[in-house]
Amino acid sequence: MNNHDYHIAPFGENGWIATYLGNQNIVDKALFANSVADNIRSVNGIIDAVAGIDSVTIKFNPSILSAHDAHKRLEQLSEGAGMTAPMPNPKIEIPVCYGGEYGPDLEPLCNELDLTQEAIIERHTNAPYRVLAVGFAPGFAYLGPTDQILHCNRHKTPRPQVPAGSVGIAGSMTGVYPLQSPGGWQIIGRTPATLFDPDADQPFIFTPGTEVHFKPVDAKTFSTLEGAR
Amino acid sequence: MGTFATVVQAGLSTTIQDLGRPGYRHLGVPLSGSADPLSLALANIALGNPASAPALECTLKGPTLKFATEGKIALGGAPMNATINKVPVEFYTAINVSTGDTLTIGQTNIGARCYIAFAGGLCASSFLGSASTYQPAAFGGHNGRALTSGDKLCLAELETGSPREITPAYRPQIGQDFFIRAVEGPEFNQLTNDAQERFFHAPWTVGRRADRMGIQLSGLSMTLDKSLPMASSAVFPGTVQCPPDGSPFLLSVDAQTIGGYPRIAQVIAADLPLLGQMRPNSKVWIAHTSHENAREITTQKSALIADILPGGLFR
Repeated sequence: MNNHDYHIAPFGENGWIATYLGNQNIVDKALFANSVADNIRSVNGIIDAVAGIDSVTIKFNPSILSAHDAHKRLEQLSEGAGMTAPMPNPKIEIPVCYGGEYGPDLEPLCNELDLTQEAIIERHTNAPYRVLAVGFAPGFAYLGPTDQILHCNRHKTPRPQVPAGSVGIAGSMTGVYPLQSPGGWQIIGRTPATLFDPDADQPFIFTPGTEVHFKPVDAKTFSTLEGAR
Repeated sequence: MGTFATVVQAGLSTTIQDLGRPGYRHLGVPLSGSADPLSLALANIALGNPASAPALECTLKGPTLKFATEGKIALGGAPMNATINKVPVEFYTAINVSTGDTLTIGQTNIGARCYIAFAGGLCASSFLGSASTYQPAAFGGHNGRALTSGDKLCLAELETGSPREITPAYRPQIGQDFFIRAVEGPEFNQLTNDAQERFFHAPWTVGRRADRMGIQLSGLSMTLDKSLPMASSAVFPGTVQCPPDGSPFLLSVDAQTIGGYPRIAQVIAADLPLLGQMRPNSKVWIAHTSHENAREITTQKSALIADILPGGLFR
């Protein structure tokens, strides 16, 4: 990030939040926030380092790391100083079966967006996305930004259960649910890919910065891929 | 591993919990663990277990368990009616149980959660270093869910030391009313001046929604001065969010890791164990505290209970 315009405020008696105010695009801001969080997480005394879309929040244990020192580390990293070179971001391709039972909101969205199902699928698969943040639910990836034409609202009332693998859109983002969970996004498809492995060192497939491409597959391919897991 | 106890009746919501899985919020994984970590730790310590041994968390109405073999248990937390073979059982004390004994945990009108610890700890599926059940994503604990009748519990056979007497001074005093302290949250200034004043002086009432995700505070409506669009950003147990409807929501141990509502306050770490004992209609007073003062209070309390919660209250 070229412009180090940020603001640090307390969050709880053992936390600080840095908010990045610059007018960079959302991708640059989110990836910068993620690299700050990744760099500070390993500091002794840091309990959690969570990146939001335009912020980093740290929780520290004051008996190990003083509030003053925690603030200073966050400040230095927010200035762009002392950052380790970021790892090259992995690229993954996610097969998605759109519509039907896998994407119950695809058809209703046609009206709202004034697009055909084919056009929504094409716009959704056209562009590579970046994982801008992970959160809300375990391993849930906020991917963005989506084509402006796909911008839509969340459901007013979230569904109590969204099946694992569901692919949704909301606002300027698209997201994938690695685990069954409650969710309010417009579900347009589902992937048969394994997104969660509780025994792996990295249990969730999506990590911030990952480049993600969606590839449309038909129901038959979905079943074959699902069976091959 | 042999069965130690069979669940005859499951109770309202009985889950296996330990002290949670801290440090994974960047993966979207909540803290989880006991909603009242102090009571769980004390029940474990009474048996000589490690403070974090997996135990049962019972909510509002507890389970009935039948023991398949002999062993030791201890209870902690909300004073639910507890009997073994219909004889009342004392809390915070190691109790011998024999094959065929029946433990019944009833209800209480004080507090919300009672803990049953087992000498050696309970077997449970572990994820990211913790056995705690996180029901929304179905991981940890007993198949990631609350117990149901017919479930069988077995012991983890963790190394145990000698049972310890838990003196009354250590036992949490649970009442109908809760006095907690909080610091201003990152978006406190989005409240109107009037709402800022009232938030810290109101007698709040716990709403119908009071679970492991969070606690709804009712009684007053908070007005937001300016409705600034907010990018998703971190939240924690103890964060008070204020959605547009003006009804504050106090997040608890299973809360999500990021959210998009203004964060008007943060309950100090020393007072977080109390959240696990709030029940619908409990009265809650939230006192304003400075960050420095809160840090001092939590540091002192962590030192006082260092032999019970070795990791302290900053979690």
